[in-house]
Amino acid sequence: MTSDEALTPDAGPAGKAGRPAFDTSVANQARIYDYLLGGKDNYAADRAAVDAVLKVAPEMGFAARANRAFLGRAVRYLAAEAGIRQFLDIGTGIPTAGNTHQVAQAVAPESRVVYVDYDPIVLAHARALLTSHEAGATEYIDADLRDTGTILSQAGRLLDFTQPVAVTMLMILHVIPDSDGPQALVAQVMDAMPSGSYLAVSHLGSDLLDQEARQGFDNIVRRSAQQQYIGRSRAEMMEFFAGLDLVEPGLVRVEEWNPDPDTAETGRSTLWCALGRKP
Amino acid sequence: MVTVGPGGEEPFPDLAESSVDAAVLRMMLGTQLRRFREAAGVTPERAGYEIRASRSKISRLENGRVKLKSRDMSDLLTLYGVTDEDVRSKFIALAGQSSTPDWWARYSDVLPTWFEPYLGLEAAAATIRSFETQFVNGLFQTEDYARAVTGLGHKTIPGDQIERRVAVRLQRQDLLRRTDPPRIWSVMDEAVLRRPIGGRAVMRAQFRHLIEAAEVPHVTLQVVPFATGAHAGESGSFTVLRFEERDLPDVVYLEQLTGATYLDQRPDVEHYLEVADELSGAALTPAETSQFIAQIARET
Repeated sequence: MTSDEALTPDAGPAGKAGRPAFDTSVANQARIYDYLLGGKDNYAADRAAVDAVLKVAPEMGFAARANRAFLGRAVRYLAAEAGIRQFLDIGTGIPTAGNTHQVAQAVAPESRVVYVDYDPIVLAHARALLTSHEAGATEYIDADLRDTGTILSQAGRLLDFTQPVAVTMLMILHVIPDSDGPQALVAQVMDAMPSGSYLAVSHLGSDLLDQEARQGFDNIVRRSAQQQYIGRSRAEMMEFFAGLDLVEPGLVRVEEWNPDPDTAETGRSTLWCALGRKP
Repeated sequence: MVTVGPGGEEPFPDLAESSVDAAVLRMMLGTQLRRFREAAGVTPERAGYEIRASRSKISRLENGRVKLKSRDMSDLLTLYGVTDEDVRSKFIALAGQSSTPDWWARYSDVLPTWFEPYLGLEAAAATIRSFETQFVNGLFQTEDYARAVTGLGHKTIPGDQIERRVAVRLQRQDLLRRTDPPRIWSVMDEAVLRRPIGGRAVMRAQFRHLIEAAEVPHVTLQVVPFATGAHAGESGSFTVLRFEERDLPDVVYLEQLTGATYLDQRPDVEHYLEVADELSGAALTPAETSQFIAQIARET
C-alpha cells in the first residue's frame, strides 16, 4: 500500500465553498446514497428524507443501485478495454462494495486511484476503508468539486498527467447549480488531462422524472437535505462532453449503458450517463 | 421452502450452508423470536414465565446474548402460536446448533459473566470500531503488554489466573487471522501511547506491534494527538460492533470496573457512531498514525 499522506490542511479557502458541516440532523447526499444502496452508515434524518422521496419517486432506489452498477461496468471497461491505469474519482461517496479502486485493481492491480470528496464523513471512511492493493495506490483529497485548482495540483502527486486518466463524476454534478458553472468545471479538469483520457458522468435527468415526481422530490430535498439536486436534460448533459467522443452506446440511462447480460434487476432509472474519450 | 413469520419471508436465507458462527446464529434466532413474540402480542414477562425465566432473560435471549435450550425454544414457539412443524423443527435444530460450546467456555473461571457476551459479539462482528483512551485495544496488545495491563486491576489475584486472563486476550486475537476477518477500525487517544505500561521495553515492542498491525489490510489504526485539543470522545473508551446482516442491530459496548453496558437501541448506537466518525475525522490519517507511533517509539 502506498501513501495517503496528509492532503487536508492546505486545501485553499475556495475549497471550503459549500462544504457540508458534519451534521447528522439534516439529510446528506452521501448518506442518502448509502441508505439507498442498503448501507448502514446513515442517520435518522437521511432515512426520513429517503423514505419520503421513495413515496413520490419509488424508482430512486433502483436508480441508486443502477448507478453503482454503472460505476462497476464503466471502470471495468476503462481498465480492461481501454487500458486505463489512473483514475480520478470525484465525489467518492461512503465506501461500499465495488469501489473504484477495487474494480480497477481487480483488472489491473497496479491501478492508481485518487478519490476526491468534500464531505468529512466520506473522507474519514474513505481513508480508513479504501485501502489499495499493494501493487497500486490510492489517495484522498479533501476538496470541493468547484475547487479544480486544488484537485488538479493534489491529484498530480499520485497521477501522471502525461498518461491517460479516467475522470469519474458520478451523481455529483447535479448538486452544482448553474451559477457555479458545472460545464466549465468539467472542462477545467478535462483540459488538464492528456489525449486518450476519459470522462464518466452520471446525473439526475430533469427529463426522466415526470412533473409530479419532480415537484415532490424537489420539495422534500429543499426541506430536508444539505445539498440541493438540480436535474439536467439530455441536451445539458451533452454539454459536459463537449470536445469528447462518446463511447457506445452514447448518452443513455445508467441501466442501459452496456448492461451485463445476466443482470437480474430490471427497472427504469432517472439518471443519465455517458462515457467520453478525449481525442 | 419454509414460510414463516409476520412478513411470510423465509427465515435465515443466509444460513443455507449453516457455517455461521454460533454467536451470529443466536442473534439471528433471537431477532426472529422477538418478531414472533411481537406478532403474537406476547409481553416479555409472559414469555419469561413460560420458560421459568425473567423478563430480562427474554431480552437477553432476543439479543442473542444467552444460549437457548431446545426445550425453551419449543415452549416459546408454542406460546407464540408457531405451529408449522417444518418451521418448528428448523428453529429447534438451530437452537441446538447455537449452543455449541464457545472457545472461551474453558476460561469461565476467570471471565466475568458480563464479559462473555462481548466475546460472542466480537467474534460475530463484520466491523469493529473502537475508541481507546487508556490502553491499547485488546486485539492489538502484545503478550507482555497484556500481562502488565491485566496485573494492574487485579493485585490480589494469583499469578496463574493472570496467565489465564492473558491467554484469553491472546486467543481473541485469533480472529485477526481468520479467513474472513472483521474490519477493525480503532482510534486511540495519544494518551494510550504515552502511558508507559510495563516499562520501556514492553512499550517499544508494543509500538512495533501496532505499526505491523496497521499494515494488515483489514485493520485501520488512527491516533487523536494531544494537539487536537478537546474532542468528541470525552466520555471515554467505547466499542461499536457492527453486523453485516441488516436485521442484526449494531451494539455499543461500554466497560466499567465491575460490569459492562451493552447498548443496541438505534439512537444510542448512532450517537456513538457519530462520535466515532467525528473522532476519525479529527484523528491523524492511518499513514500519519504509523509515522506518529514510530516517532513516539524513537522517543521512548
